[in-house]
Amino acid sequence: MFKASINIDLLKDSIAALSVIVDEVRLKISSDGISVKAVDPANVAMVVFDLKSSAFENYEASDVEIGLDLIKITDILGIVERGSIVDLELDSESQKLNLFFDGLLYKLSLLDPSTIRADPRVPQLDLPAKVVLNGQDLRRAVKAAEKVSDHVTLGVENNAFYMQAKGDTDFVRLDMTANELIDLDAGDACSLFSIEYLLDIIKSAGKANEVTLSIGRDFPILIYFEIANAGGSVTFLLAPRIESD
Amino acid sequence: MGVDIGSLLIKEEVDTNKLKGKIVAFDAYNIIYQFVTAVRVRGGNPLTDSNGNITSHLSGLLYRSGYFGDLGIKPVFVFDGKPPELKQETIDMRRKAREDAHEKWLLAVEKKDIKAAEKYAAASARVDMKIIEESKELIQLMGFPIIDAPSEGEAQAAFMQKKGDVDIVASQDYDAFLFGAQNVVRNLTVSGKRKVQGKNEYRDIMPEWVNLKKTLDFHNINEEQLIDIGLSVGTDFNSGIPGIGPKRALKFVKERKNVFDILDEVGKKAIKENKVSEEEIEEEREIIKKARQFFIHPPVTEVYELKWEKPKKDEMIELLCRKRDFSEKRVILACEKINKIFEKKQPTLDQWF
Repeated sequence: MFKASINIDLLKDSIAALSVIVDEVRLKISSDGISVKAVDPANVAMVVFDLKSSAFENYEASDVEIGLDLIKITDILGIVERGSIVDLELDSESQKLNLFFDGLLYKLSLLDPSTIRADPRVPQLDLPAKVVLNGQDLRRAVKAAEKVSDHVTLGVENNAFYMQAKGDTDFVRLDMTANELIDLDAGDACSLFSIEYLLDIIKSAGKANEVTLSIGRDFPILIYFEIANAGGSVTFLLAPRIESD
Repeated sequence: MGVDIGSLLIKEEVDTNKLKGKIVAFDAYNIIYQFVTAVRVRGGNPLTDSNGNITSHLSGLLYRSGYFGDLGIKPVFVFDGKPPELKQETIDMRRKAREDAHEKWLLAVEKKDIKAAEKYAAASARVDMKIIEESKELIQLMGFPIIDAPSEGEAQAAFMQKKGDVDIVASQDYDAFLFGAQNVVRNLTVSGKRKVQGKNEYRDIMPEWVNLKKTLDFHNINEEQLIDIGLSVGTDFNSGIPGIGPKRALKFVKERKNVFDILDEVGKKAIKENKVSEEEIEEEREIIKKARQFFIHPPVTEVYELKWEKPKKDEMIELLCRKRDFSEKRVILACEKINKIFEKKQPTLDQWF
């Protein structure tokens, strides 16, 4: 059973965060809230998503798993007025999710969760450096790197966080000292990442006031931020690219 | 050609995306032979330049190397060294088959039987020193490492894989497993369609991946037992025990019998039925002993360097276009594709679990 009401902007942000990684998800619904773990088809990026029941206007649920077509729901949510409340109700008999907003009822057919890739295991990573910065700053760094290359180095050096990208001809670097960051735990960190994935991730993370990056040396990066006034959280995990010799 | 243990192996279709960034050792002789047999024009003649020199091997290598670039594979070409004495019989047999096929080819051409001509032309193909030298020259210009094995190329490839220098051994037969290769991929060097032997039909072929451990675990046997199965059914070094196929060999091995036990048991029966003499059994036993030793401890070299360089486009054009009538466009395209192996590698998250 699942019946809840949620602010459209929060719902859109949540769906957008998941859409970075996959087109179809298994939502794990319980009385505490909704959680998702998904990995992209190439096994390069992962999302761990949690939205507590307190983030909803109303929330009533027992344990159930549903399969959601993210492309379809994103399309539907496009017609919802800003600031509206969307009522969600699972019709388990017909396997449909009823969405009710602005006087409109939309019956969205669900996907059989067993046809969607199973939840990935989440690697336990011990990452030496932690950088907390504004989402806007992260967005700016990635956008700048995109101008010159398809990959970017993120790291920590001399008590500062840096972004560096080298193209065939041009070069770009951004340094942010501890003062310019919200927080910094310096450590041995320098890893290369695909811009393509980061561009998708910043669409979602770029809106957050605080984004925490955990970085290692040639290790995956962990990108964590909260949504819905700490009523939920999103963690992206992205595998590094390795310099081939 | 090769050991007939294919039916026992756990084969998986390869998602070619998974091959990106992998270092793949090719049995060079094996694939050059494939090109020389397969890259032919109607009527069975190989591709040639305007001077009548064969170019099938160069065409195959160039085209396939572009494909490796597309897949992001870093190839290593391992050439056979001196064949072990044990292999002499197989080599003689192959030569004889080739010579027979050559005669039949000439006959078919005379009779204007195109189908037969194509079949026998392919079977009479041979890879001579000139073809090998030219292939090596092109491989070098394309920037790929060449390893000269002291003996069997597959043994050397398997050795490099065990050392962790190579990810995959690519070959059309499975002998590499008997040398201890952990991962063998087939069909990486052939195009998407293959002619069904002896028929005028083509079927799609997909790269096929076999992991040694998966296969061994599936049958609950170890590497040495797999060698015993191979020796029982016959390898390039021994003709095998009469009447033993892969399934029976597996059954024996699982009863904790080794190849000599199988030879004793089957041999005794065959002697009783006057099918073979005791001497013949003893002879086979000696050959198997040597072959077994060869599979377990083949001659290999630790002296090799794996280094990839960007293809030398101008020199390739000089070699292929000026001298051998290749189209310059094709060579330039192949170079562009080969350059893709220098792109950065994107590993998956799995390796951090």
